[in-house]
Amino acid sequence: MLLLDYQNVLIESMLKDRFSGAAPVSIDQVVSDFDGVTFHISTPESKTKIRVSIHVKCFQELVQYGAQAVLEREYGPYIVEPESGYDFSVQVDLENLPADQEGKDDLIRRISLLKRNAMAAPFEQAFDEFAQRQEEASKYTSESAPQGVLEGGEVRAIHYREEEAIYIKASHDRVTVIFSTIFREETDRIFGKVFLQEFVDARRRAIQNAPQVLFRHDPPLELEGIPGINTSGSGEVGYITFVLFPRHLTAQRREEVISHIQTFRDYFHYHIKASKAYIHSRMRRRTADFLQVLRRARPETEEKERKTASGRTFRVQA
Amino acid sequence: MATLNWRTINIDALDPDSPANFDLSTLTPDVASASTADVQSLAGQIRQLLRAGDNEGALQGALENPPYGADERGKDIHLATVIEILQSIRQSEMSPILSRIYSAPGGTEALDVLMKYIYKGMAQSNTANTAKTMTPQATGFSQIHARGGGEGGGQAMSVLLSWHEKLVEIAGPGCIVRVMTDRRTV
Amino acid sequence: MSQSLRPYLQCVRSSLTAALSLSNFASQASERHNVPEIEAQSSPEVLLNPLTVSRNENEKVFIEPSINSVRISIKIKQADEIEHILVHKFTRFLTQRAESFFILRRKPIKGYDISFLITNFHTEEMLKHKLVDFIIQFMEEVDKEISEMKLFLNARARFVAESFLTPFD
Repeated sequence: MLLLDYQNVLIESMLKDRFSGAAPVSIDQVVSDFDGVTFHISTPESKTKIRVSIHVKCFQELVQYGAQAVLEREYGPYIVEPESGYDFSVQVDLENLPADQEGKDDLIRRISLLKRNAMAAPFEQAFDEFAQRQEEASKYTSESAPQGVLEGGEVRAIHYREEEAIYIKASHDRVTVIFSTIFREETDRIFGKVFLQEFVDARRRAIQNAPQVLFRHDPPLELEGIPGINTSGSGEVGYITFVLFPRHLTAQRREEVISHIQTFRDYFHYHIKASKAYIHSRMRRRTADFLQVLRRARPETEEKERKTASGRTFRVQA
Repeated sequence: MATLNWRTINIDALDPDSPANFDLSTLTPDVASASTADVQSLAGQIRQLLRAGDNEGALQGALENPPYGADERGKDIHLATVIEILQSIRQSEMSPILSRIYSAPGGTEALDVLMKYIYKGMAQSNTANTAKTMTPQATGFSQIHARGGGEGGGQAMSVLLSWHEKLVEIAGPGCIVRVMTDRRTV
Repeated sequence: MSQSLRPYLQCVRSSLTAALSLSNFASQASERHNVPEIEAQSSPEVLLNPLTVSRNENEKVFIEPSINSVRISIKIKQADEIEHILVHKFTRFLTQRAESFFILRRKPIKGYDISFLITNFHTEEMLKHKLVDFIIQFMEEVDKEISEMKLFLNARARFVAESFLTPFD
C-alpha cells in the first residue's frame, strides 16, 4: 500500500456488507479518519435505516467555500438533519436502495467518500474561479490587462488540523495549493526535507507534467497578510506549495486531482513514519549483529565431562 | 555564603593527604628545562639539515633532543618541526630510516619519542581552518554521492597514520605502552 | 576497503592492544571499593597519557588508559544533517541497550559520539584480542550502516515522491 485510499475503507466495507442483503442489524459505531475527522454510523430509527454522520474540524470554513452545495449535489435525497455533535448526516434505507448493482456500488462509493467530498468544496470553487479568470484574461494581451485580472483571487484557508492548514489560491493561469505542516521533532524535519527535495526534483527528472512543488520554511508570498500564519520561520513549520497548471484543472481530471492532492499531507507524514520504523528495525538487526561479535569475545566455558581412568564420571551433587 | 551548598565541595582537593593530590612530579624524571629560544634555535638547525636534503639526520636530531622541559609554546614549535620532517620523507624511505635509527645506540628511546610526536600530531586539533559547518543538504542528484567531503586535515593524518604503522612494525607495541606510561610528555 | 581507512583501523588496533593491559586495582579513595580509575579520576598517578588516533577532523578515536580501565571514545563521520541525525539515532539506540553490551558506556564523553569502557574484569572474562576485534568491526560497520541508511532514505524518498506525482502526469 503505497498510495492512500481516498475513501474510508471501514465505511465502504460496512455498507457493502449491509447492501449485500444480509439480515439487518443495529449498528452504532464511531469511525476515525485522517485529520481528526470522525464518522458515526448508526441505526437510530430501525435496523434498516443507516445513518452516517461526519464531523470535520473546519466544517464552518468548508461551508463558507460552498461545501453545502457540493454535498447536496453528491448526496441530494439522502441528506437528513445533522446529528447533534456532527456536522453533516446522510441516511440510507436498506429497503429503498437503487435496484441495480451498479447503483448500489455508486452509492457505497459516494458515501465512503464523504470526507473527500466535504473537503473538496474549496478546491472546486478555486478551480471554477480559475476557469473564470482564464476566460477573462484571454480577452486581453498581457500588457493591456486591467489591474486585478492577472493577479490571483482571494486565498481560501482551510484549517483542517490543530496547527496545520491548506491554502488555495486561484489565478488566471494556475491554482496554487499550499500545505502548512508541522514537524514534531528534529528527525521528522530532516527526513521531511529529504522527501520534499525529491518531490521538488521529481518534476525536473522524471515526471515533466507533474505540478510544480516548492518547499520552504517561511510563509510563501501568496500567504502575505493572511491572519494566523506563523511567521517565526522556525524549522518546525514547513510550507509545501503545489502549483497546478491548466492541464491538471480540466473538467475531466478535476475529480481525481482533488482527491489526490487532499491525501498529500497524510501520505507524506505516513512515509516519514514508515521510514523511521524501517530504520529502527535495521538498527535493531545491526545491534544484534554487534552483540554476536561481542559474544565471540567470551571464551567457551562449557564444562567438559571428566572421566577417571576406569571410565567412570563424576557427578556434581546438587 | 549562606547559599553555598557544602555538599558539592570537593573536599579531596583541599586535603593534602588525599590521593587526588598526589604529587605527580615525583614520578617524572628530572628533565632539563629548555627555553622557547633554545627550541627555536634547534628548529633552525634541523631545518638546515632538512634543506640540505639530510632527512634522516634531521629526524635523528629532532628525536634525540626532545624539549621535555619546555613550556607549551616550545613544545608546539618542536612538534611542528617533527611533523615537517615526517611529511618530507617519502613513504618508501620510512621503513629503512626507522630500522637504521632503531639499530643505532639509543634507538629505542628515539623511536619512543617519535611515537609520542605521532600521537600528539594526531591529537592536535586543527579546528582553526575548518570551521564547523554542517553542510545543508545538497539538491537533487548529488544526494546519492558517496559520503565524502569534510575531510579536514585528512592528508596530514594519513602521513602520520602510515608512520605509525611502520613504527609499530619495527619498534613493537611496547613503544605505544611507553608513550602512555612515560610522564615526560612532548 | 578505502585506502585511508586501513591504516586508520590498523593504528586503532595497535593502540588498543597496547592500552588493554589492565590489572585489578582497588580504589585508594574509598575502602573496599573497586572502581574504574579512569572514571573516578581520584588518583592521578594511575591515569596514563591519553592517545588520539584520527583519520581527519570528523573521524577520531580517543583512548584514555588507566591502571584498571580504558575508556575509548569514537567520533563517527557525519557529512551532513541526515548523517548527523542517523548517527545520533543509532548511537542512542545502542546506548539504551548498554547493559547487554557490557563494555558500552551509557553516555559518550564530550565531543564524541559513542564511548566504551573496558575494565580489568572485562579483560579477565573475555579474550582481549576479540574485544579489540569488536571495536574495530564496530567502527567499520557503523560507517557502512550509516551510508546504507542514508541511501535507503534517499531512494525511498524518490520513489515515494514519484509515486505521488505520477497520477498528475
